[in-house]
This record gives sequence, structure tokens and C-alpha cells, in this order.
Amino acid sequence: MSYPWSEDVITVERGPEPGGVGGAYRVLGETLRGLKTVFKQALSKPVTIEYPEEKTPVYPRFRGRHKLHRFEDTGLEKCVGCSLCAAACPAGCIRVVAAENTPDHQVSAGERYAAVYEINLTRCIFCGYCEIACPFDAITMGVDYELADYTRSDLIFTKEMLLADPIDKTPLRAEGE
Amino acid sequence: MTEQTGANGAPPQGGIDPLAVPYRQREQSITLERMDRPDEPVYGTELEPETELFTVNMGPHHPATHGVLRLLLTLEGEVVRSCTPLIGYVHTGIEKSCEDQSYWKVIPFVERMDYLSYYFNAMAFCTAVERLLEEEVPPRAQYLRVIHLELNRIASHLFWLGTSALDLGAISFLWYCLRERDKVLDLFEMSSGQRMHPRYFQVGGVIEDIPPGWERKVREFIAYLPSRLDEYEAILDRNEIVLRRLKGVAIVDRETVKGLGVTGPLLRAAGEPWDLRKAMPYSSYDHFDFKIPVGTVGDHYDRYRVRMAEMRESLKIVEQALDGLPEGPYITQNRKVALPPRHELATSMEALIHHFKLVTEGFRVPPSETYAAIEAPRGELGCFVVADGSAKPARVHMRDPSFVNLQLLPHMAQGSLVADLIASIAMLDPILGGIDR
Repeated sequence: MSYPWSEDVITVERGPEPGGVGGAYRVLGETLRGLKTVFKQALSKPVTIEYPEEKTPVYPRFRGRHKLHRFEDTGLEKCVGCSLCAAACPAGCIRVVAAENTPDHQVSAGERYAAVYEINLTRCIFCGYCEIACPFDAITMGVDYELADYTRSDLIFTKEMLLADPIDKTPLRAEGE
Repeated sequence: MTEQTGANGAPPQGGIDPLAVPYRQREQSITLERMDRPDEPVYGTELEPETELFTVNMGPHHPATHGVLRLLLTLEGEVVRSCTPLIGYVHTGIEKSCEDQSYWKVIPFVERMDYLSYYFNAMAFCTAVERLLEEEVPPRAQYLRVIHLELNRIASHLFWLGTSALDLGAISFLWYCLRERDKVLDLFEMSSGQRMHPRYFQVGGVIEDIPPGWERKVREFIAYLPSRLDEYEAILDRNEIVLRRLKGVAIVDRETVKGLGVTGPLLRAAGEPWDLRKAMPYSSYDHFDFKIPVGTVGDHYDRYRVRMAEMRESLKIVEQALDGLPEGPYITQNRKVALPPRHELATSMEALIHHFKLVTEGFRVPPSETYAAIEAPRGELGCFVVADGSAKPARVHMRDPSFVNLQLLPHMAQGSLVADLIASIAMLDPILGGIDR
């Protein structure tokens, strides 16, 4: 059968047939040649990172654990409890319950604030749609990736946990952005 | 584990409708076609034909099945007489879940089907939806997509090479291949924010432009990988053990492969130069100059060689795409489909309205249906989307190449040794996440 693009077809090489005199040579010669490549690796620098002692650096765009933000000058929360992040979440892992700000209890800069803000990190797929959806940059994907815990309930992150700074800083790569 | 004998065991189910038999019984009853020819010498061995058959389960938890694939084998000594793949152990119901999500939220779902070629899954879905919407993708987005797709193809083939060599007994190979694959994943992390399942492709383009410095890193990788591929080929190509394990093993002729609907490297290794990137170019693939490697015999060695050659061709495509990367928008300017740029939210009320509308409800797709197929690392990956006019798809179906290609396994395995069956699974390269979906 001929295709219109048949000039773009290349046939792969078949290599030698196994067995015979060539086979007897290859058992020794080619094996040694392969071993040369293998042993050369012993001289090269290891590419592994000694993980728990040395943390893997991430790129700036890396999407790790979420963070909620406050305004730096006033200390008020950026989140106004609009639930757009919850609407955008494909996994349905965000729960927001909004409440009204009052003059003597001003939590956020808007009219309303998030009384409850919970992210179930056991369900989260780290797609970052919440970050895209948020019109106030109140929630962003941080760079922390060490999220293991002993119980599932500990992985439901509350507003206070998301607002707090992480205990260990994840190293960032210099390249990009 | 049950033992069956041809003489006094369960009789072959002649004349019985297999679908009328209850499921458990159907699993146990094996077609004993090979037993019609007991005097025929067993392929590739000096074994005397035996009469005693042995039914054994391989998997679902078997390190060589590349996931949770269960094979029901009928063995005659060391020889596979019948092989029935049983699937469904990682069924996740992704296709059903997609029906309950708006279109842009489906993308992270479909990416998780075939978990080694995530960009391809997203690409198939996005292409289908773009066709339904008749949405043009800007040239820069098309090129960025091609770069990511081809890098993903390299990563997928590298993983295949590592695990296949592991199945053939070369353990250090897995580490070499994972080392190189990690470099690709680093590139993905830098451009899309996640090493796997990056939801970088969106309907109408890509979600973000590439960061500065990324192009230089990709070029470094293009310069670096060929020397490594040479190294791999120096180890494998002429190694006597590899030659004996691969050459002349599990030959399936071109017509059988075509008749089963098998696509991708397996079809090309059988000699059929079918590649959707050439046959029906999508996403500017007709702008690039690349070759289709095909095999001549259709054995494992050809399958190995075709994939190795494909990695080099992919590198060529990535390089050409980087050279010709056009300037311009990276996502369509149609505000009814794509989110407005971030900086407009603070200044434009219209942008804010579009943003709210797209995030909460999503865009609506006129009632229609389409099938979009792309060339994934394992073959034709098609996505069938039915739209009913709402913001959620009425049906999303994926034609996953692994699922169709798995039909080839009984043809490869019948009459071969158990050890060659392991090599067959490795060369078939099935991804069970894609098969079960």
C-alpha cells in the first residue's frame, strides 16, 4: 500500500541475527562493551538528591499546598468568601461558609468574609483552578509538597492553617519567572 | 488455581453461547484451540507437546504486568496455550465523572486516564471541544502544544524503555531511563507547574505562556538526549541476550495487527506506516519535517527499534517547533471560551463578568457530537464528545490505544514461553489506567 507521505517513511535497522559465530563473539565482546558503559556510570556524579536531609527545590510555577493571604498593610484577609474557588474545584474539596463583616468585627476588606474555609487535601488534585478562579488573589498555590500525615482528619486544612506561614521553607529554583 | 486436563476435565464449550455462561464460569472455561493440533511442535522450543494443561492466574498484582492486569493463562508446561486478559481492576469511572463537570473541569479528569501521556489525553479532549465550538487555536498555542506533546512522548517512551529492559533483566536500565525522564518532568514542572497531570492545555490554547529560560532548557535537553540514546543503543542493540529475547519473538503479521485495530508503534513495527500526525495533521504537525519509522518483520526487535527511532524523531520536531515558535497570543481571544487575562480583572467590569461566568458555569457548547483523534505514544487516542447544549458534556468517551492494543496480547502470547509473554507485555506497553478508565 502506498501512502502519499511514503517518502517520509524510514525502515528501522534489523541488527545482527542472534547465534552463530557472531553470537559467540557478542556474548563476550558486546557484553563487555555494554559493561563499559555501565561501569562508566560509577564515575559520574550521582543525580539523586538525599531527600529528607536535602529538600528538592521546585520551580516558581510549582503547585503545592494552598495558601490564603492577608493584606500586608492592614492585616485584613483578602478572601471575601465568594466561593468561586469552591465552584471551580473539580474535586469538590473546598468548603466556604461566608459571614457578614461588622464594624467591630472586621475580618476581610470586603463586605463579607469566610467564616469557614476548609480544603480537604486528601481530595485535592492540585490542579490550581482555585487560584485561577480567585478574583482577589486571596488563595494561591504555595510550593510546599510535604503533606503526609497520620490521620485523614489532620489533612482537612482550616483557614488558620492556610493563613499561617509554613514551618519549613521549600527551596525554590532560581530559573524561570 | 485450578487444574484442567484435556481428557477428563471440563469439556471444551462447543456450541454453548459464551455470554449465556455466568461470569465466574466463563473465566474458568478456556478455549483450547491449540489442542486441536497436539503434534505441532511448540514454537521456538524443543519441548515435546504435553497433554496436561494448567490454568493459572497471572496478576492482577504481578510486577511484570505494568499495572493491575490479570491474565488467565492456560499453560502446557512452560508454553502458553491460551491467554485471556481480564481488565477492570483500576476502573475509576472517569468517563462518567466527566459528565458531571463543566468542560474546563473535565481536563484534569481526562489527564488521569493514561497517566504516562497526560498531555495527549488533554489534547484529545481539547481538540474535540474546539471542533464542537469551531474555535481557532492561535499558532503559538499550537506550537507550544506540539512541544509539550513531543516531550511527553519522549518521557513516555523512556519509561517504556526502562520498564521493558527491566522485564528483560536489565535492572540498571530503569535508573538510566528514569534519570532522563526526570529531566523532561523538570521541564514540565517549569512550564506548567506540575510534573504529571499539569492541566496545561485548555480549550482554545494553553493556560500560560512558557516562562523565560524554558526554551534554553529545552534546547539543552535536545542536545543532551541523543548522546544518552546512543549509550542505550550501545548497550542493547547488539547484546546477545537482548537479541535472543527480542528477535523473531512474537511475530504478528501486518494484516492481523491491522484487523485488530491496533495502532501506534505496534502497527508501525508490523510495517504499516500509519501515523495520524502525517495522515490527518492536527495542531500544525504538517509544518514539521519528520519521518515515520517502520519495521519489516513485526517482532519484538522491530517494536523496540521503532520506539527508539521515534524518540529521535520527536526531538527533531521539538527543535523545529522551538525554532519556528511564532509570536502572538497563547490562548484564543474569544472571551466566551477562554478566561480573560489576570490583569484585566482589576480594570474591566466586562472581564470580571466573563471570569465569573466561565468559572461558575463554564461555556456552553451547541448540541452536536464529534470524534477527535491524535497520535499518542501508544497509538490512536480518540475522544468522542457529545454536547447537549449545556455547559457540561453529555458524554465523554476515550478510545484509548492501550485498550485496543491489548487485543494483540493473545496473538503474541499463544504458543510462546511464559518468559516471552513477559517480554510481550513489555513491548505492548499497556497502561492500565488508560485501559480501564
